Amino acid sequence: MILPRGVAQPTELVKHLNALAPFPPGVANWRYTVDNDWSGDPAIFFWITLSDEAARPSVLSQNSRRLMDYITLRLDPVGQWGLIPYFNFRSQSEQATLREEVFG
Amino acid sequence: MAYHDDLIEQAIFLSQINLPQEPKQVDLRRAVSAAYYGLFHLLTTEAAQNWKHASQRDRFARLFDHGRMKTCSSKFVSRPLPVNPAEVPVAEDMRLVADSFVKLQQARHTADYDNSKVWSRTQVYETIALAEDAKAAWLRIREEELAQEYLLDLMGGRQ
Repeated sequence: MILPRGVAQPTELVKHLNALAPFPPGVANWRYTVDNDWSGDPAIFFWITLSDEAARPSVLSQNSRRLMDYITLRLDPVGQWGLIPYFNFRSQSEQATLREEVFG
Repeated sequence: MAYHDDLIEQAIFLSQINLPQEPKQVDLRRAVSAAYYGLFHLLTTEAAQNWKHASQRDRFARLFDHGRMKTCSSKFVSRPLPVNPAEVPVAEDMRLVADSFVKLQQARHTADYDNSKVWSRTQVYETIALAEDAKAAWLRIREEELAQEYLLDLMGGRQ
């Protein structure tokens, strides 16, 4: 069985992920997990907490698209690491209420 | 209004229930599912329009398989952009549609089957925006050769 590079070389992947920082303005915190998606394909899940300002409905789509492009262009998760990227966004105030561990 | 448009409208409605109070998870989960099915039905309906016999189009649209559609969409996302600059805008829109389909399908699966996952309104708004942006991109390119090739591949003919 051939593992995707992102799974076979996790240290290398972590190095590239760390190099993504600093993120564009509006990102309060970010985390990632590597796992299979629902159909068993290797994937990387990004858990991004946005500032309340950046998560306002009127600007959310623009900001989230910018961040997805930022990560995808620099990391190339599919091409370089064989991982499908999935993105999850929430605001700081939502995370303060929900306190979901995966978001940090 | 077409069924796929109704689904996206329903997703927006569900995501805003109880504002400005805290949302119920059931409403957010159903909103995510509706957003995915909005794009799913848009694409399958478009593919069915190519079927000559109108009376058989609903049956044709039921032939689509979620897993095969994901496999096909992932392949379109991985395709390099064309060298010819004139072809890039269509390819970028096509990639946005395919990429959104993959992401929405994963979100829908989590929303429908993973009760440990907690959703927030921001996550759901973002999911709905994916569906809306994908729809807008699709409407720009639906008559293009590349878009028609995508519809054909969604059937799973080329794995």
